[in-house]
Amino acid sequence: MRHVSWAAAMLFLLSSLCYPQVATPTDPETIGQLVQQVKDLQERVRILESQQRPTDASVPNSPNLPTPPVEPAEEAATASALEQKIHETRGIQWRGFGEVDYKALSQRQPELGAYGFVPGSAGNFYTGDFGLFLTSKLTEKASVLSEIVFEDGDAQTYKVDLRRLLLKYDYGEHLKMSFGRYQTSIGYYNWAFRSAAWLQTTADRPLVMEFASNGGLLPTQAIGVSLTGTIPSGKLGLNYVAEYGSSDTIRPDISGDGRETDENNGNHVNVGFFLRPDALRGLQIGASYYHDKISNLALDAASGAPVPQTPGSPGPSARYGQTIDNGYVVYVAHGIEFLNEGFLIRDAALHFSNTVYNTPAFYSQVSKQMGHIRPFVRFQYVNASPNDLIYNDVGLRFGPSFGARYDLNDYIALKAQLDHTVRRGEPDLNGLHLQLAFTF
Amino acid sequence: MGTRTLLMPLLICLASLVCLQAAAAQAGDVAVVVNDRNPVNTLSSTELREIFAGEKHYWAAGVPIRIFVRGPGTPERNALLKLLGMTESEYKRYWTTQILRGEAQAEPMPLPSNGMQREAVVAYPGAVALVGFQDIKAGMKVLKFEGRKPGEAGYALQGR
Repeated sequence: MRHVSWAAAMLFLLSSLCYPQVATPTDPETIGQLVQQVKDLQERVRILESQQRPTDASVPNSPNLPTPPVEPAEEAATASALEQKIHETRGIQWRGFGEVDYKALSQRQPELGAYGFVPGSAGNFYTGDFGLFLTSKLTEKASVLSEIVFEDGDAQTYKVDLRRLLLKYDYGEHLKMSFGRYQTSIGYYNWAFRSAAWLQTTADRPLVMEFASNGGLLPTQAIGVSLTGTIPSGKLGLNYVAEYGSSDTIRPDISGDGRETDENNGNHVNVGFFLRPDALRGLQIGASYYHDKISNLALDAASGAPVPQTPGSPGPSARYGQTIDNGYVVYVAHGIEFLNEGFLIRDAALHFSNTVYNTPAFYSQVSKQMGHIRPFVRFQYVNASPNDLIYNDVGLRFGPSFGARYDLNDYIALKAQLDHTVRRGEPDLNGLHLQLAFTF
Repeated sequence: MGTRTLLMPLLICLASLVCLQAAAAQAGDVAVVVNDRNPVNTLSSTELREIFAGEKHYWAAGVPIRIFVRGPGTPERNALLKLLGMTESEYKRYWTTQILRGEAQAEPMPLPSNGMQREAVVAYPGAVALVGFQDIKAGMKVLKFEGRKPGEAGYALQGR
Protein backbone atom coordinates (compact mmCIF):
# COMPACT_ATOMS: atom_id res chain seq x y z
CA MET A 1 0.00 0.00 0.00
CA ARG A 2 2.92 2.25 0.82
CA HIS A 3 4.14 1.66 -2.72
CA VAL A 4 0.79 2.84 -4.02
CA SER A 5 0.96 6.01 -1.92
CA TRP A 6 4.46 6.68 -3.15
CA ALA A 7 3.36 6.06 -6.69
CA ALA A 8 0.47 8.50 -6.30
CA ALA A 9 2.75 11.09 -4.75
CA MET A 10 5.25 10.65 -7.57
CA LEU A 11 2.44 10.96 -10.11
CA PHE A 12 1.36 14.20 -8.49
CA LEU A 13 4.93 15.50 -8.52
CA LEU A 14 5.44 14.46 -12.11
CA SER A 15 2.18 15.99 -13.21
CA SER A 16 3.19 19.25 -11.57
CA LEU A 17 6.60 19.12 -13.19
CA CYS A 18 5.42 17.94 -16.56
CA TYR A 19 2.58 20.35 -17.02
CA PRO A 20 4.73 23.44 -17.46
CA GLN A 21 6.87 21.56 -19.96
CA VAL A 22 3.81 20.88 -22.04
CA ALA A 23 2.47 24.38 -21.68
CA THR A 24 5.81 26.12 -22.00
CA PRO A 25 6.39 27.48 -25.48
CA THR A 26 9.62 26.91 -27.32
CA ASP A 27 12.71 28.80 -26.13
CA PRO A 28 12.57 31.75 -28.58
CA GLU A 29 8.93 32.30 -27.64
CA THR A 30 9.82 32.20 -23.95
CA ILE A 31 12.58 34.72 -24.49
CA GLY A 32 10.21 36.88 -26.49
CA GLN A 33 7.61 36.75 -23.75
CA LEU A 34 10.20 37.57 -21.09
CA VAL A 35 11.46 40.51 -23.12
CA GLN A 36 7.89 41.67 -23.55
CA GLN A 37 7.27 41.35 -19.82
CA VAL A 38 10.39 43.41 -19.09
CA LYS A 39 9.15 46.05 -21.54
CA ASP A 40 5.74 45.99 -19.88
CA LEU A 41 7.29 46.47 -16.48
CA GLN A 42 9.56 49.26 -17.69
CA GLU A 43 6.59 51.01 -19.22
CA ARG A 44 4.57 50.57 -16.07
CA VAL A 45 7.38 52.02 -13.95
CA ARG A 46 7.69 54.95 -16.33
CA ILE A 47 3.98 55.70 -16.09
CA LEU A 48 3.97 55.37 -12.32
CA GLU A 49 7.03 57.59 -11.99
CA SER A 50 5.47 60.18 -14.25
CA GLN A 51 2.39 60.22 -12.10
CA GLN A 52 4.47 60.30 -8.86
CA ARG A 53 1.96 58.16 -7.17
CA PRO A 54 2.36 55.10 -5.03
CA THR A 55 2.34 51.79 -6.79
CA ASP A 56 -1.00 50.25 -7.61
CA ALA A 57 0.35 46.77 -6.93
CA SER A 58 -2.11 46.51 -4.12
CA VAL A 59 -5.00 46.62 -6.58
CA PRO A 60 -6.44 43.15 -6.60
CA ASN A 61 -5.96 41.35 -9.88
CA SER A 62 -9.57 40.53 -10.58
CA PRO A 63 -12.01 41.93 -13.10
CA ASN A 64 -14.93 41.26 -10.79
CA LEU A 65 -13.86 43.63 -8.04
CA PRO A 66 -15.37 47.10 -7.86
CA THR A 67 -13.50 49.72 -9.77
CA PRO A 68 -11.91 52.51 -7.74
CA PRO A 69 -12.63 55.99 -9.06
CA VAL A 70 -9.94 57.44 -11.28
CA GLU A 71 -8.51 60.65 -9.90
CA PRO A 72 -8.78 63.66 -12.22
CA ALA A 73 -5.03 64.28 -11.92
CA GLU A 74 -4.28 60.71 -12.90
CA GLU A 75 -6.66 60.90 -15.83
CA ALA A 76 -5.02 64.11 -17.03
CA ALA A 77 -1.54 62.58 -16.81
CA THR A 78 -2.78 59.52 -18.63
CA ALA A 79 -4.39 61.54 -21.36
CA SER A 80 -1.22 63.60 -21.73
CA ALA A 81 0.99 60.52 -22.11
CA LEU A 82 -1.40 58.99 -24.56
CA GLU A 83 -1.86 62.13 -26.56
CA GLN A 84 1.89 62.10 -27.10
CA LYS A 85 1.58 58.63 -28.55
CA ILE A 86 -1.62 59.39 -30.41
CA HIS A 87 -0.02 62.46 -31.94
CA GLU A 88 1.32 60.07 -34.58
CA THR A 89 -2.21 59.60 -35.91
CA ARG A 90 -3.16 63.26 -35.79
CA GLY A 91 -2.27 65.92 -38.30
CA ILE A 92 -2.04 65.05 -41.97
CA GLN A 93 -1.52 61.38 -42.73
CA TRP A 94 0.35 60.77 -45.97
CA ARG A 95 0.21 57.60 -47.97
CA GLY A 96 1.15 57.03 -51.55
CA PHE A 97 1.07 54.52 -54.35
CA GLY A 98 2.63 54.10 -57.74
CA GLU A 99 3.32 51.69 -60.53
CA VAL A 100 5.82 51.02 -63.27
CA ASP A 101 4.44 49.15 -66.25
CA TYR A 102 5.57 47.47 -69.42
CA LYS A 103 2.92 46.66 -71.98
CA ALA A 104 3.26 44.97 -75.33
CA LEU A 105 0.43 44.53 -77.82
CA SER A 106 0.10 42.55 -81.00
CA GLN A 107 -0.64 45.79 -82.87
CA ARG A 108 1.29 49.02 -83.33
CA GLN A 109 -1.54 51.22 -82.12
CA PRO A 110 -2.54 52.12 -78.55
CA GLU A 111 -5.59 50.69 -76.87
CA LEU A 112 -7.45 52.93 -74.46
CA GLY A 113 -5.34 55.83 -75.74
CA ALA A 114 -3.78 56.11 -72.33
CA TYR A 115 -0.63 56.04 -70.28
CA GLY A 116 1.90 57.25 -72.80
CA PHE A 117 1.65 54.20 -75.03
CA VAL A 118 3.60 55.34 -78.09
CA PRO A 119 1.87 54.67 -81.42
CA GLY A 120 4.14 52.84 -83.82
CA SER A 121 5.74 50.76 -81.13
CA ALA A 122 4.48 47.37 -80.00
CA GLY A 123 5.82 47.64 -76.48
CA ASN A 124 6.33 50.50 -74.03
CA PHE A 125 7.23 51.32 -70.48
CA TYR A 126 5.05 53.79 -68.60
CA THR A 127 4.33 54.81 -65.05
CA GLY A 128 0.53 54.71 -64.92
CA ASP A 129 -0.86 56.48 -61.88
CA PHE A 130 1.28 57.90 -59.11
CA GLY A 131 -0.91 58.95 -56.22
CA LEU A 132 -0.56 60.92 -53.04
CA PHE A 133 -3.21 60.09 -50.51
CA LEU A 134 -3.82 62.50 -47.66
CA THR A 135 -6.20 62.24 -44.75
CA SER A 136 -6.67 64.41 -41.72
CA LYS A 137 -8.98 63.99 -38.78
CA LEU A 138 -10.67 67.25 -37.85
CA THR A 139 -12.88 66.03 -35.01
CA GLU A 140 -14.07 62.65 -33.77
CA LYS A 141 -16.65 62.61 -36.55
CA ALA A 142 -15.22 64.85 -39.26
CA SER A 143 -12.24 64.28 -41.51
CA VAL A 144 -10.76 65.31 -44.85
CA LEU A 145 -9.53 62.94 -47.54
CA SER A 146 -7.78 63.77 -50.77
CA GLU A 147 -6.24 61.66 -53.49
CA ILE A 148 -3.99 63.49 -55.92
CA VAL A 149 -2.99 61.42 -58.91
CA PHE A 150 -0.29 62.18 -61.47
CA GLU A 151 -1.32 60.40 -64.64
CA ASP A 152 1.22 59.45 -67.26
CA GLY A 153 0.25 61.02 -70.60
CA ASP A 154 1.63 61.26 -74.09
CA ALA A 155 5.37 62.03 -74.50
CA GLN A 156 5.99 61.36 -70.79
CA THR A 157 3.98 64.37 -69.69
CA TYR A 158 1.97 64.18 -66.51
CA LYS A 159 -1.50 65.41 -65.77
CA VAL A 160 -2.65 66.14 -62.23
CA ASP A 161 -6.04 64.71 -61.38
CA LEU A 162 -7.71 65.32 -58.05
CA ARG A 163 -9.37 61.92 -58.02
CA ARG A 164 -10.97 62.47 -54.64
CA LEU A 165 -11.40 65.46 -52.35
CA LEU A 166 -13.86 64.81 -49.58
CA LEU A 167 -14.98 66.46 -46.41
CA LYS A 168 -16.41 63.54 -44.49
CA TYR A 169 -18.78 63.69 -41.58
CA ASP A 170 -20.09 60.62 -39.78
CA TYR A 171 -23.35 61.29 -38.06
CA GLY A 172 -23.36 57.70 -36.90
CA GLU A 173 -23.26 54.14 -38.17
CA HIS A 174 -26.41 54.78 -40.18
CA LEU A 175 -25.41 58.01 -41.87
CA LYS A 176 -21.97 58.90 -43.18
CA MET A 177 -21.76 61.93 -45.43
CA SER A 178 -19.08 62.98 -47.89
CA PHE A 179 -18.99 66.28 -49.73
CA GLY A 180 -16.67 66.98 -52.65
CA ARG A 181 -15.23 64.96 -55.51
CA TYR A 182 -15.89 61.28 -55.07
CA GLN A 183 -15.57 58.07 -57.02
CA THR A 184 -19.08 57.04 -58.02
CA SER A 185 -20.34 53.95 -56.24
CA ILE A 186 -21.43 52.18 -59.42
CA GLY A 187 -20.49 48.61 -58.74
CA TYR A 188 -17.99 46.97 -56.45
CA TYR A 189 -14.72 47.50 -58.30
CA ASN A 190 -14.70 51.27 -58.06
CA TRP A 191 -15.18 51.09 -54.30
CA ALA A 192 -12.81 48.22 -53.59
CA PHE A 193 -9.84 49.13 -55.74
CA ARG A 194 -10.05 52.90 -56.01
CA SER A 195 -7.05 54.29 -57.90
CA ALA A 196 -4.10 52.31 -56.60
CA ALA A 197 -2.75 49.54 -58.80
CA TRP A 198 -1.30 47.98 -55.65
CA LEU A 199 -4.83 47.30 -54.39
CA GLN A 200 -5.76 45.36 -57.51
CA THR A 201 -4.97 41.74 -58.12
CA THR A 202 -4.75 42.24 -61.87
CA ALA A 203 -2.43 44.63 -63.68
CA ASP A 204 -5.30 46.66 -65.13
CA ARG A 205 -8.97 47.31 -64.53
CA PRO A 206 -11.73 45.61 -66.50
CA LEU A 207 -12.60 47.87 -69.46
CA VAL A 208 -16.06 48.68 -68.15
CA MET A 209 -14.53 49.79 -64.82
CA GLU A 210 -11.60 51.67 -66.34
CA PHE A 211 -11.45 55.35 -65.46
CA ALA A 212 -13.36 57.45 -67.99
CA SER A 213 -10.22 59.50 -68.63
CA ASN A 214 -8.61 56.28 -69.86
CA GLY A 215 -11.51 55.26 -72.09
CA GLY A 216 -13.71 53.50 -69.55
CA LEU A 217 -17.45 53.46 -70.09
CA LEU A 218 -18.70 54.59 -66.69
CA PRO A 219 -18.72 58.04 -65.10
CA THR A 220 -16.14 57.20 -62.46
CA GLN A 221 -15.89 60.62 -60.77
CA ALA A 222 -18.33 63.32 -59.73
CA ILE A 223 -18.61 66.33 -57.47
CA GLY A 224 -21.49 66.40 -55.05
CA VAL A 225 -22.69 64.62 -51.97
CA SER A 226 -22.42 60.95 -51.16
CA LEU A 227 -24.31 59.28 -48.32
CA THR A 228 -23.81 55.78 -47.01
CA GLY A 229 -24.62 53.78 -43.91
CA THR A 230 -26.08 50.66 -42.47
CA ILE A 231 -29.77 49.77 -42.46
CA PRO A 232 -30.95 47.85 -39.38
CA SER A 233 -31.36 44.35 -40.77
CA GLY A 234 -29.89 41.98 -38.20
CA LYS A 235 -27.60 39.36 -39.64
CA LEU A 236 -28.34 40.42 -43.20
CA GLY A 237 -25.85 43.32 -42.99
CA LEU A 238 -27.76 45.64 -45.31
CA ASN A 239 -26.11 48.92 -46.34
CA TYR A 240 -27.14 51.73 -48.64
CA VAL A 241 -25.38 54.35 -50.75
CA ALA A 242 -26.96 57.43 -52.31
CA GLU A 243 -25.17 60.02 -54.43
CA TYR A 244 -26.21 63.24 -56.11
CA GLY A 245 -23.64 65.16 -58.07
CA SER A 246 -22.22 66.49 -61.29
CA SER A 247 -19.69 64.73 -63.41
CA ASP A 248 -18.26 66.13 -66.60
CA THR A 249 -16.89 63.07 -68.28
CA ILE A 250 -14.54 63.33 -71.23
CA ARG A 251 -13.50 59.92 -72.45
CA PRO A 252 -10.99 59.24 -75.23
CA ASP A 253 -12.03 56.84 -77.96
CA ILE A 254 -10.35 53.55 -77.26
CA SER A 255 -10.01 52.77 -80.95
CA GLY A 256 -7.06 55.15 -81.12
CA ASP A 257 -8.69 57.49 -83.68
CA GLY A 258 -7.49 60.56 -81.77
CA ARG A 259 -10.96 61.67 -80.77
CA GLU A 260 -12.65 62.01 -77.43
CA THR A 261 -16.26 62.41 -76.35
CA ASP A 262 -17.33 65.22 -74.04
CA GLU A 263 -20.46 63.93 -72.34
CA ASN A 264 -21.39 67.28 -70.73
CA ASN A 265 -23.21 65.44 -67.99
CA GLY A 266 -26.07 66.88 -66.02
CA ASN A 267 -26.60 66.12 -62.35
CA HIS A 268 -26.78 62.42 -61.67
CA VAL A 269 -28.54 60.31 -59.09
CA ASN A 270 -27.06 57.02 -57.98
CA VAL A 271 -28.74 54.75 -55.45
CA GLY A 272 -27.44 51.38 -54.36
CA PHE A 273 -27.78 48.69 -51.74
CA PHE A 274 -25.51 45.90 -50.69
CA LEU A 275 -25.60 42.98 -48.27
CA ARG A 276 -22.81 41.54 -46.16
CA PRO A 277 -24.50 38.60 -44.44
CA ASP A 278 -23.02 37.31 -41.20
CA ALA A 279 -23.70 33.75 -42.29
CA LEU A 280 -21.02 33.83 -44.99
CA ARG A 281 -18.26 36.23 -44.13
CA GLY A 282 -16.65 37.69 -47.24
CA LEU A 283 -19.80 37.54 -49.35
CA GLN A 284 -21.14 40.84 -50.65
CA ILE A 285 -24.14 41.18 -52.92
CA GLY A 286 -25.14 44.54 -54.30
CA ALA A 287 -27.08 46.45 -56.90
CA SER A 288 -27.22 50.08 -57.97
CA TYR A 289 -29.16 52.36 -60.29
CA TYR A 290 -27.65 55.46 -61.88
CA HIS A 291 -29.36 58.12 -63.99
CA ASP A 292 -28.00 61.18 -65.80
CA LYS A 293 -28.40 63.17 -69.02
CA ILE A 294 -25.43 63.32 -71.35
CA SER A 295 -24.26 64.49 -74.78
CA ASN A 296 -21.93 63.01 -77.35
CA LEU A 297 -19.88 66.05 -78.32
CA ALA A 298 -16.95 64.70 -80.34
CA LEU A 299 -13.65 66.52 -79.82
CA ASP A 300 -10.23 66.29 -81.31
CA ALA A 301 -8.11 64.92 -78.47
CA ALA A 302 -5.04 66.94 -79.38
CA SER A 303 -6.65 70.37 -79.80
CA GLY A 304 -9.88 69.93 -77.87
CA ALA A 305 -11.79 71.47 -80.78
CA PRO A 306 -15.13 69.96 -81.82
CA VAL A 307 -14.88 67.73 -84.85
CA PRO A 308 -17.45 67.92 -87.65
CA GLN A 309 -20.49 65.73 -87.02
CA THR A 310 -21.09 62.85 -89.34
CA PRO A 311 -23.96 63.35 -91.78
CA GLY A 312 -27.30 62.32 -90.32
CA SER A 313 -26.13 62.56 -86.71
CA PRO A 314 -28.36 64.48 -84.29
CA GLY A 315 -25.69 67.12 -83.67
CA PRO A 316 -23.62 68.11 -80.65
CA SER A 317 -26.56 69.50 -78.69
CA ALA A 318 -28.45 66.20 -78.72
CA ARG A 319 -29.10 64.82 -75.25
CA TYR A 320 -29.43 61.27 -74.09
CA GLY A 321 -30.94 59.94 -70.90
CA GLN A 322 -28.38 57.53 -69.51
CA THR A 323 -29.22 54.86 -66.96
CA ILE A 324 -26.73 52.36 -65.64
CA ASP A 325 -28.01 49.26 -63.85
CA ASN A 326 -25.46 47.26 -61.94
CA GLY A 327 -25.55 44.04 -59.97
CA TYR A 328 -22.70 42.14 -58.37
CA VAL A 329 -21.86 39.12 -56.26
CA VAL A 330 -18.39 38.99 -54.77
CA TYR A 331 -16.71 36.70 -52.29
CA VAL A 332 -13.41 37.74 -50.75
CA ALA A 333 -12.25 35.57 -47.84
CA HIS A 334 -9.83 32.78 -46.95
CA GLY A 335 -7.46 33.93 -49.70
CA ILE A 336 -10.14 33.53 -52.37
CA GLU A 337 -11.26 36.44 -54.49
CA PHE A 338 -14.28 35.82 -56.69
CA LEU A 339 -15.69 38.93 -58.34
CA ASN A 340 -18.71 39.01 -60.64
CA GLU A 341 -20.29 42.21 -61.87
CA GLY A 342 -22.81 42.92 -64.58
CA PHE A 343 -23.92 46.21 -66.12
CA LEU A 344 -26.58 47.41 -68.49
CA ILE A 345 -25.90 50.90 -69.83
CA ARG A 346 -28.93 52.41 -71.58
CA ASP A 347 -28.58 55.55 -73.68
CA ALA A 348 -32.02 56.82 -74.69
CA ALA A 349 -32.18 59.63 -77.21
CA LEU A 350 -34.18 62.55 -75.84
CA HIS A 351 -36.54 64.70 -77.94
CA PHE A 352 -35.10 63.87 -81.37
CA SER A 353 -35.70 60.13 -81.49
CA ASN A 354 -37.15 57.15 -79.63
CA THR A 355 -34.02 55.08 -80.08
CA VAL A 356 -32.54 53.35 -77.06
CA TYR A 357 -29.06 51.85 -77.17
CA ASN A 358 -28.29 49.08 -74.71
CA THR A 359 -24.71 48.25 -73.81
CA PRO A 360 -24.43 45.11 -71.68
CA ALA A 361 -21.12 44.42 -69.97
CA PHE A 362 -19.78 42.09 -67.34
CA TYR A 363 -16.58 40.72 -65.94
CA SER A 364 -15.79 37.76 -63.77
CA GLN A 365 -12.51 37.34 -61.93
CA VAL A 366 -11.23 34.60 -59.68
CA SER A 367 -7.93 34.36 -57.82
CA LYS A 368 -6.44 32.43 -54.92
CA GLN A 369 -3.61 33.43 -52.61
CA MET A 370 -0.95 30.72 -52.44
CA GLY A 371 1.81 31.99 -50.19
CA HIS A 372 3.24 35.07 -51.88
CA ILE A 373 1.67 34.22 -55.25
CA ARG A 374 -1.89 34.93 -56.35
CA PRO A 375 -2.74 33.44 -59.76
CA PHE A 376 -5.81 34.95 -61.39
CA VAL A 377 -8.15 34.51 -64.32
CA ARG A 378 -10.56 37.13 -65.61
CA PHE A 379 -13.10 37.17 -68.40
CA GLN A 380 -14.69 40.38 -69.57
CA TYR A 381 -17.36 41.28 -72.09
CA VAL A 382 -18.66 44.57 -73.48
CA ASN A 383 -21.12 44.85 -76.36
CA ALA A 384 -21.87 48.40 -77.57
CA SER A 385 -23.97 49.03 -80.62
CA PRO A 386 -22.04 50.38 -83.63
CA ASN A 387 -24.88 52.91 -84.01
CA ASP A 388 -24.49 54.21 -80.44
CA LEU A 389 -22.68 57.49 -81.05
CA ILE A 390 -21.33 57.53 -77.49
CA TYR A 391 -19.74 54.07 -77.40
CA ASN A 392 -19.31 53.32 -81.10
CA ASP A 393 -15.54 53.17 -80.58
CA VAL A 394 -16.00 50.28 -78.16
CA GLY A 395 -18.11 47.85 -80.16
CA LEU A 396 -18.05 44.21 -79.14
CA ARG A 397 -15.06 43.14 -77.09
CA PHE A 398 -14.57 40.07 -75.00
CA GLY A 399 -11.87 37.74 -73.91
CA PRO A 400 -9.86 36.27 -71.07
CA SER A 401 -6.92 37.56 -69.08
CA PHE A 402 -4.76 35.43 -66.87
CA GLY A 403 -1.60 35.86 -64.89
CA ALA A 404 -0.24 36.11 -61.39
CA ARG A 405 0.55 38.63 -58.72
CA TYR A 406 3.64 38.08 -56.59
CA ASP A 407 3.91 40.03 -53.35
CA LEU A 408 7.55 40.72 -52.67
CA ASN A 409 6.57 42.11 -49.26
CA ASP A 410 3.68 43.99 -47.70
CA TYR A 411 4.25 47.03 -49.92
CA ILE A 412 5.53 45.86 -53.33
CA ALA A 413 3.83 43.55 -55.81
CA LEU A 414 4.95 42.26 -59.18
CA LYS A 415 2.26 41.30 -61.68
CA ALA A 416 2.33 39.56 -65.02
CA GLN A 417 -0.78 39.38 -67.17
CA LEU A 418 -1.64 38.03 -70.61
CA ASP A 419 -4.75 39.29 -72.41
CA HIS A 420 -6.63 38.02 -75.41
CA THR A 421 -9.39 40.29 -76.74
CA VAL A 422 -11.80 39.43 -79.51
CA ARG A 423 -13.08 42.56 -81.31
CA ARG A 424 -15.91 42.95 -83.76
CA GLY A 425 -14.63 43.92 -87.21
CA GLU A 426 -10.99 43.98 -86.11
CA PRO A 427 -8.28 41.39 -85.59
CA ASP A 428 -8.01 39.76 -82.18
CA LEU A 429 -5.71 41.59 -79.84
CA ASN A 430 -3.10 39.95 -77.63
CA GLY A 431 -1.26 41.74 -74.89
CA LEU A 432 1.42 41.23 -72.26
CA HIS A 433 1.33 43.50 -69.24
CA LEU A 434 4.05 43.53 -66.58
CA GLN A 435 3.63 45.76 -63.59
CA LEU A 436 5.53 46.71 -60.46
CA ALA A 437 2.96 48.19 -58.08
CA PHE A 438 3.79 49.65 -54.70
CA THR A 439 2.42 51.62 -51.82
CA PHE A 440 4.22 53.62 -49.18
CA MET B 1 -7.98 2.28 5.74
CA GLY B 2 -6.09 0.93 2.76
CA THR B 3 -8.59 2.36 0.30
CA ARG B 4 -8.49 5.75 2.02
CA THR B 5 -4.70 5.73 1.82
CA LEU B 6 -4.95 5.04 -1.88
CA LEU B 7 -7.68 7.57 -2.63
CA MET B 8 -6.35 10.60 -0.79
CA PRO B 9 -3.18 11.11 -2.88
CA LEU B 10 -5.14 10.37 -6.02
CA LEU B 11 -7.77 12.98 -5.16
CA ILE B 12 -5.06 15.51 -4.33
CA CYS B 13 -3.39 14.65 -7.59
CA LEU B 14 -6.59 15.10 -9.58
CA ALA B 15 -7.48 18.33 -7.80
CA SER B 16 -4.05 19.77 -8.48
CA LEU B 17 -4.30 18.80 -12.12
CA VAL B 18 -7.68 20.50 -12.39
CA CYS B 19 -6.30 23.62 -10.69
CA LEU B 20 -3.29 23.66 -13.00
CA GLN B 21 -5.53 23.20 -16.01
CA ALA B 22 -7.79 26.07 -14.92
CA ALA B 23 -4.81 28.32 -14.18
CA ALA B 24 -3.31 27.52 -17.56
CA ALA B 25 -6.61 28.22 -19.28
CA GLN B 26 -6.91 31.55 -17.47
CA ALA B 27 -3.34 32.43 -18.38
CA GLY B 28 -4.14 32.01 -22.07
CA ASP B 29 -7.44 33.88 -21.96
CA VAL B 30 -7.50 37.35 -23.48
CA ALA B 31 -10.15 39.70 -22.18
CA VAL B 32 -12.12 42.27 -24.13
CA VAL B 33 -11.95 45.46 -22.07
CA VAL B 34 -13.68 48.80 -22.44
CA ASN B 35 -13.99 52.00 -20.46
CA ASP B 36 -15.98 51.36 -17.29
CA ARG B 37 -18.55 53.97 -18.35
CA ASN B 38 -19.35 51.99 -21.49
CA PRO B 39 -22.82 50.42 -21.00
CA VAL B 40 -21.99 47.41 -23.21
CA ASN B 41 -21.63 44.17 -21.26
CA THR B 42 -21.25 41.49 -23.88
CA LEU B 43 -20.09 41.10 -27.49
CA SER B 44 -20.45 38.30 -29.96
CA SER B 45 -17.49 37.18 -32.07
CA THR B 46 -19.10 38.83 -35.12
CA GLU B 47 -19.45 42.16 -33.31
CA LEU B 48 -15.91 42.00 -31.97
CA ARG B 49 -14.53 41.11 -35.40
CA GLU B 50 -16.43 44.02 -36.96
CA ILE B 51 -15.01 46.37 -34.35
CA PHE B 52 -11.39 45.27 -34.73
CA ALA B 53 -11.71 45.11 -38.53
CA GLY B 54 -12.78 48.75 -38.50
CA GLU B 55 -16.18 47.92 -40.02
CA LYS B 56 -18.13 49.13 -37.00
CA HIS B 57 -17.24 52.65 -35.96
CA TYR B 58 -19.69 53.54 -33.20
CA TRP B 59 -21.00 52.03 -29.99
CA ALA B 60 -24.77 51.75 -29.75
CA ALA B 61 -24.88 54.98 -27.73
CA GLY B 62 -23.19 56.83 -30.59
CA VAL B 63 -19.76 57.11 -28.97
CA PRO B 64 -16.98 56.65 -31.56
CA ILE B 65 -15.10 53.38 -31.10
CA ARG B 66 -11.38 53.81 -30.48
CA ILE B 67 -9.38 50.64 -31.03
CA PHE B 68 -6.15 49.92 -29.17
CA VAL B 69 -4.05 46.90 -29.96
CA ARG B 70 -0.74 45.35 -28.93
CA GLY B 71 2.24 44.86 -31.20
CA PRO B 72 3.27 41.66 -33.00
CA GLY B 73 4.43 38.74 -30.86
CA THR B 74 2.18 39.41 -27.89
CA PRO B 75 -0.65 37.10 -26.75
CA GLU B 76 -3.14 39.92 -27.31
CA ARG B 77 -1.97 40.28 -30.92
CA ASN B 78 -2.24 36.53 -31.41
CA ALA B 79 -5.82 36.63 -30.16
CA LEU B 80 -6.58 39.56 -32.48
CA LEU B 81 -5.20 37.79 -35.53
CA LYS B 82 -7.13 34.63 -34.67
CA LEU B 83 -10.29 36.68 -34.31
CA LEU B 84 -9.80 38.31 -37.71
CA GLY B 85 -8.55 35.11 -39.35
CA MET B 86 -5.45 36.84 -40.67
CA THR B 87 -1.70 36.48 -40.57
CA GLU B 88 0.43 39.43 -39.46
CA SER B 89 1.19 40.23 -43.10
CA GLU B 90 -2.46 40.01 -44.11
CA TYR B 91 -3.34 42.29 -41.19
CA LYS B 92 -0.87 44.94 -42.41
CA ARG B 93 -2.15 44.73 -45.96
CA TYR B 94 -5.76 44.80 -44.81
CA TRP B 95 -5.25 48.12 -43.04
CA THR B 96 -3.29 49.62 -45.92
CA THR B 97 -6.21 48.66 -48.16
CA GLN B 98 -8.76 50.17 -45.78
CA ILE B 99 -6.77 53.42 -45.61
CA LEU B 100 -6.40 53.73 -49.39
CA ARG B 101 -10.10 53.01 -49.83
CA GLY B 102 -10.83 55.85 -47.43
CA GLU B 103 -12.55 53.51 -44.98
CA ALA B 104 -10.03 54.14 -42.19
CA GLN B 105 -7.86 57.01 -41.08
CA ALA B 106 -4.97 54.90 -39.87
CA GLU B 107 -4.06 51.43 -38.68
CA PRO B 108 -5.10 50.92 -35.04
CA MET B 109 -2.34 52.20 -32.84
CA PRO B 110 -0.23 49.42 -31.32
CA LEU B 111 0.58 50.22 -27.68
CA PRO B 112 3.84 48.97 -26.20
CA SER B 113 2.38 47.54 -23.01
CA ASN B 114 -0.79 46.42 -21.32
CA GLY B 115 -0.17 49.23 -18.85
CA MET B 116 -0.59 51.70 -21.70
CA GLN B 117 -3.68 49.82 -22.84
CA ARG B 118 -5.13 50.23 -19.37
CA GLU B 119 -4.37 53.95 -19.46
CA ALA B 120 -6.00 54.25 -22.87
CA VAL B 121 -9.12 52.40 -21.79
CA VAL B 122 -9.43 54.62 -18.73
CA ALA B 123 -8.81 57.81 -20.69
CA TYR B 124 -11.12 57.29 -23.68
CA PRO B 125 -14.84 56.58 -23.25
CA GLY B 126 -15.02 54.74 -26.59
CA ALA B 127 -11.87 52.70 -26.07
CA VAL B 128 -11.74 48.95 -26.61
CA ALA B 129 -8.71 46.73 -26.22
CA LEU B 130 -7.69 43.12 -25.82
CA VAL B 131 -5.77 42.45 -22.59
CA GLY B 132 -4.30 39.26 -21.22
CA PHE B 133 -6.36 37.92 -18.34
CA GLN B 134 -3.48 38.21 -15.87
CA ASP B 135 -3.06 41.90 -16.71
CA ILE B 136 -6.61 43.01 -15.98
CA LYS B 137 -6.50 46.01 -13.67
CA ALA B 138 -8.90 48.34 -12.01
CA GLY B 139 -10.51 50.78 -14.41
CA MET B 140 -10.97 48.14 -17.07
CA LYS B 141 -14.44 46.80 -17.66
CA VAL B 142 -14.23 43.22 -18.83
CA LEU B 143 -16.89 42.23 -21.35
CA LYS B 144 -18.38 38.84 -21.86
CA PHE B 145 -17.30 37.34 -25.16
CA GLU B 146 -19.81 34.93 -26.66
CA GLY B 147 -21.54 34.84 -23.28
CA ARG B 148 -18.48 33.95 -21.24
CA LYS B 149 -15.99 35.89 -19.16
CA PRO B 150 -12.28 35.12 -19.30
CA GLY B 151 -11.37 32.38 -16.88
CA GLU B 152 -14.63 30.57 -17.44
CA ALA B 153 -14.58 27.18 -19.11
CA GLY B 154 -15.00 27.39 -22.86
CA TYR B 155 -13.88 31.01 -23.17
CA ALA B 156 -12.94 31.34 -26.82
CA LEU B 157 -10.56 34.30 -27.09
CA GLN B 158 -7.13 32.81 -26.59
CA GLY B 159 -3.71 34.36 -26.99
CA ARG B 160 -1.71 31.18 -27.41
